[in-house]
Amino acid sequence: MEHVVELKNVTKKFKGFSLKPINLQVRRGFVTGFIGANGAGKSTTIKMMMNLLKPDAGKVKLFGLDYQTHERAIKERIGFVYDGNVFYEGLNLKDIKRIVGPAYKRWDDKVFYRYVEQFELPLNKAIKTFSKGMQMKASLAIALSHHAELIIMDEPTAGLDPIFRRELLDLLQEIMLDGSRTIFFSTHITTDLDRIADYIAFINNGEMMFNQSIHDIAENYQLVKGGVDLLDRDTEKAFVHIHRTSTGFQALTDNIEAVKKTFGDSVVMERASLEDMMYYMKGGKQHVQFN
Amino acid sequence: MFNLIRRDLILQKWQLLIFIPIIMFFIIMDKHPALIFLVASILIPFNAYAYDEKAETNILLNSLPYTRVEIIASRYLGAIVYMGLAIGVTCLALVTFNKPFTMSDMAIGGGLFLWFASFTFPLFYIFKSGYISTVVLIGFLILAGVGPSVFMFIAENLPVINDFIVSLSVPTLYTGVAVLTLIIYSVSWGVTTIIYQRKVF
Repeated sequence: MEHVVELKNVTKKFKGFSLKPINLQVRRGFVTGFIGANGAGKSTTIKMMMNLLKPDAGKVKLFGLDYQTHERAIKERIGFVYDGNVFYEGLNLKDIKRIVGPAYKRWDDKVFYRYVEQFELPLNKAIKTFSKGMQMKASLAIALSHHAELIIMDEPTAGLDPIFRRELLDLLQEIMLDGSRTIFFSTHITTDLDRIADYIAFINNGEMMFNQSIHDIAENYQLVKGGVDLLDRDTEKAFVHIHRTSTGFQALTDNIEAVKKTFGDSVVMERASLEDMMYYMKGGKQHVQFN
Repeated sequence: MFNLIRRDLILQKWQLLIFIPIIMFFIIMDKHPALIFLVASILIPFNAYAYDEKAETNILLNSLPYTRVEIIASRYLGAIVYMGLAIGVTCLALVTFNKPFTMSDMAIGGGLFLWFASFTFPLFYIFKSGYISTVVLIGFLILAGVGPSVFMFIAENLPVINDFIVSLSVPTLYTGVAVLTLIIYSVSWGVTTIIYQRKVF
């Protein structure tokens, strides 16, 4: 089984927001970064993966199993880290371990205490006295202590300082080393991903824009800069989005060959960062807008 | 499932120490033993909801390898377990203070608790979190204050019901009430499970 998570034509409607039919596969053994602006549907998608929300239509499968019949078996194999603290804030880490640990068949006290030591977490202090970074470390220690195959994280780096973010990313890289784990994490800080992600899934306004390897993205998308006089109704078709200024235009293309053919050397082409893509695709794919 | 029930003890370990003086207070105030059994039974299960009504707790429980059916089952079974424990502790306290009590006091206290639980547990999952435990506690106090006089009123003004109850033999009456209590508790359990399965977090 190549995919640990499979969403097929999943939809969900809320007041004022809807998830369009989403198809998403998360590959086993890799880090997939899930990006999108605030409110794009990242948390909703993650909640459906965790069965905290039920989709209106479509199928959600984890490890090839569905939640209707295999809820416990699926969750045994998932470690979760959420944006905020979900643990009883008045309890200390030792008591939280007493509550969470027995829930898992494969809970491993040794691993847990090893992480507690590595992260320098106090065992007898209430979670509410922890800093944001320490809360994140505590969640991570718990998520990693039951030999989970899939680690799902919702905005784990949000609100962390840069040094701690880097530490966290290094740690994630470390836990990927044995090759048996899969990490799926959402973020809107795209620079986190350049460092560790193998695949990027991009959601925008409730719609999946792409789910490709970092390598493919670099090959498929480029930023194009040139004079405004080069643009007309036909040439614009090669771009996802165009940003015009008085000195020229900047645009994102997913059709590099066509751009090369049309413009040749009259434009400058460079690698598009994830942030560029998020910015240019904000208005929707194949939707040329003029700013 | 056992872990879910045990969780309440871990969460409330310090509060448990406060519960004993509360029971003592009722005993010293010379309250009716049935009322003391009822109050003692209510403390742990309802205090647990003060933790459970938070959205984060539900996200946590539902992310762990538990099904929603199990989470609700642990509440309903846990309430019975903690009621048993509370009744045991209260018995000890009553004996220590040399206060007489009967088996029927226990049955009335336990029975009333189950009725109260049956009607209030679903509310915790229907209403928005934050206020409901306060509402239920106030509701309990009002019921405890007004309830007896309502019963007296019914007894005096509706002789049909009164006569019917009096005409039953004691074992029939007790069995009937016990069966009715169990039915109501089970229905409440089922309803809460359905509500909880539809909830989003």
